[in-house]
Amino acid sequence: MTSETMTIAKDPAAQAIDDARALLEALLSSGSQQIHLDSGGTEIYIARMGAAPSPMRARAVAVAPPVAPAALGTEVAIKAPHVATLVQVLGVGTPVSAGQAVATVHVLDEPEDIVSPVAGVITGIGAAAGDLLDYGTVVLTVREAA
Amino acid sequence: MAIKRLFIANRGEIALRIVRAAQALNIETVVAVSDADRDTAAARLADRSVVLGPASAAKSYLDPRLIVHAARESGCDGLHPGYGFLSERAILPRLCSAQGIAFVGPEPDVIDALGDKLSARAMAKAAGVPLVPGSECVASAADARREGDRIGYPVLLKASAGGGGRGMVIANNRDEAEAGFHRASAEAVAAFGDGTLFMERFVPEARHVEVQLMGDGKGQVVHFGERDCSVQRRYQKLIEEAPCAAMPDHLRAQLHKSAVDLAASVNYRNAGTAEFLFDVRRQEFYFIEVNARIQVEHPVSEMISGFDLVQEQIRIAGGAPLSVAQDQVKLSGHAIECRINAEDPARDFLPSPGRITRWDPPTGDGIRLDSHMSEGAMIPPFYDSMVGKLIVHGETRAEAVAKLTDAIDRFTVEGVPTTLGLHRAIITHPDFIANTIHTRWLEQVFLPDMAAKAA
Repeated sequence: MTSETMTIAKDPAAQAIDDARALLEALLSSGSQQIHLDSGGTEIYIARMGAAPSPMRARAVAVAPPVAPAALGTEVAIKAPHVATLVQVLGVGTPVSAGQAVATVHVLDEPEDIVSPVAGVITGIGAAAGDLLDYGTVVLTVREAA
Repeated sequence: MAIKRLFIANRGEIALRIVRAAQALNIETVVAVSDADRDTAAARLADRSVVLGPASAAKSYLDPRLIVHAARESGCDGLHPGYGFLSERAILPRLCSAQGIAFVGPEPDVIDALGDKLSARAMAKAAGVPLVPGSECVASAADARREGDRIGYPVLLKASAGGGGRGMVIANNRDEAEAGFHRASAEAVAAFGDGTLFMERFVPEARHVEVQLMGDGKGQVVHFGERDCSVQRRYQKLIEEAPCAAMPDHLRAQLHKSAVDLAASVNYRNAGTAEFLFDVRRQEFYFIEVNARIQVEHPVSEMISGFDLVQEQIRIAGGAPLSVAQDQVKLSGHAIECRINAEDPARDFLPSPGRITRWDPPTGDGIRLDSHMSEGAMIPPFYDSMVGKLIVHGETRAEAVAKLTDAIDRFTVEGVPTTLGLHRAIITHPDFIANTIHTRWLEQVFLPDMAAKAA
């Protein structure tokens, strides 16, 4: 299976945090006073001291929906954190605990563990050892223990 | 050995430019993208793309290990860094070399040596390239006066420990040099705990000129003429021309020779640009620095030489010697480029990322557009806001200006504000047409005028 063909479904909260970090970086490296991103369900405003007031403040304060604790039995996708080569991954049906290493990738021959954020059972494998994983590729899925 | 599959570690118009150059040489291409750039023109045109990391440049385009890993694992034997990002960081060619990947650029040691201002100046001096006249350490007001007289006014007194303009004073005559010494030295002590100063000639109205170089690392270096990039805002170039029409031929020949001598002294490999300050009043030029990469404005040199610099870069990285000798480089006519940014000049050049809803560029003889944009394309907010470069070529400077004006008039972009209108106003300004501008002209003359008219 090649990694290019996979569709990436992103956690909106994680996406918003990634976007905010990248925007802050863009602001700091440019001469801009403020950056305002309004796209889809996400709106972010970052400004230096003394910049124009936030257009978002004029409106009701939008609160990002809290990340709901995963419902029992939820399937959790574990994705490649950056481009890397998959070295090994545990098999379908393997029980795992939260924080356990479930796959190993390498970047320039340096190994790095991918851990499961939840306890449960591995229900699917999205890539094979030796694959070059794109960032965001689903490596495996874990069904959270009830 | 000639490169068979090239990894492109960049984004935007230059990534697309490099993919096309490689394809013209029948070389396969793999483009590195961030999560925000999955659907770009370069990614679509390349044989393959690899997603390095999230939108954040620090976790994608600026991570040399991810880049070289992706290049190796996608079977690439060459890597082009483009401009910006990691293009002048020696770590990238060092990692490439460890993995047997040919880096499209200079040797890492040369990048390091040129990247350090003091060592670059020492190299220039050793190669006989003129530097801004200046002094060693100045220890007293009497020293400042004597050195000022020797260098010629106006002069700049600078803190040796300094930076950011602190401890920096301009002196227009001998009295100001003495008074300035006390002031600059006190400021330097307060700011850096070290009052040591040095002096440099201050050129209030300088032009920025630079020479396009190409070396093969086998002893040959050629130049492709000079560019004039004097229209700048906050040290960012907006408009570039080739040749520098304000420079007389005898000085131009000296400029080219200086640049080639410097590159030859380090047996320079691949593309580079030697930048100089041109003091029009004194008719002298001084070395600033060497940029060890292809530059944004390389197309104006291509337009007057008819030579594809990016293809030559790739050939040389594959081990080929220079494909032209200096006497085969024929320069003709005049070219001008404007960098089109998705920025709003009326709101202090506020970057305005978003979606392009209409993109209808001009075409015609002597018109070139280097852009990755199209209708429906997205300009992500995470990177610089350049949407393309419009380049024209004419027989004369006046013809090129007229052609560019007409091309801008026929260029329709909708969805985001751009700097196209600003470019039209600049190139039709009497000072630009008379070619009397300098590097501070845009900020000191043009933009204040524009703001006053808008008020």
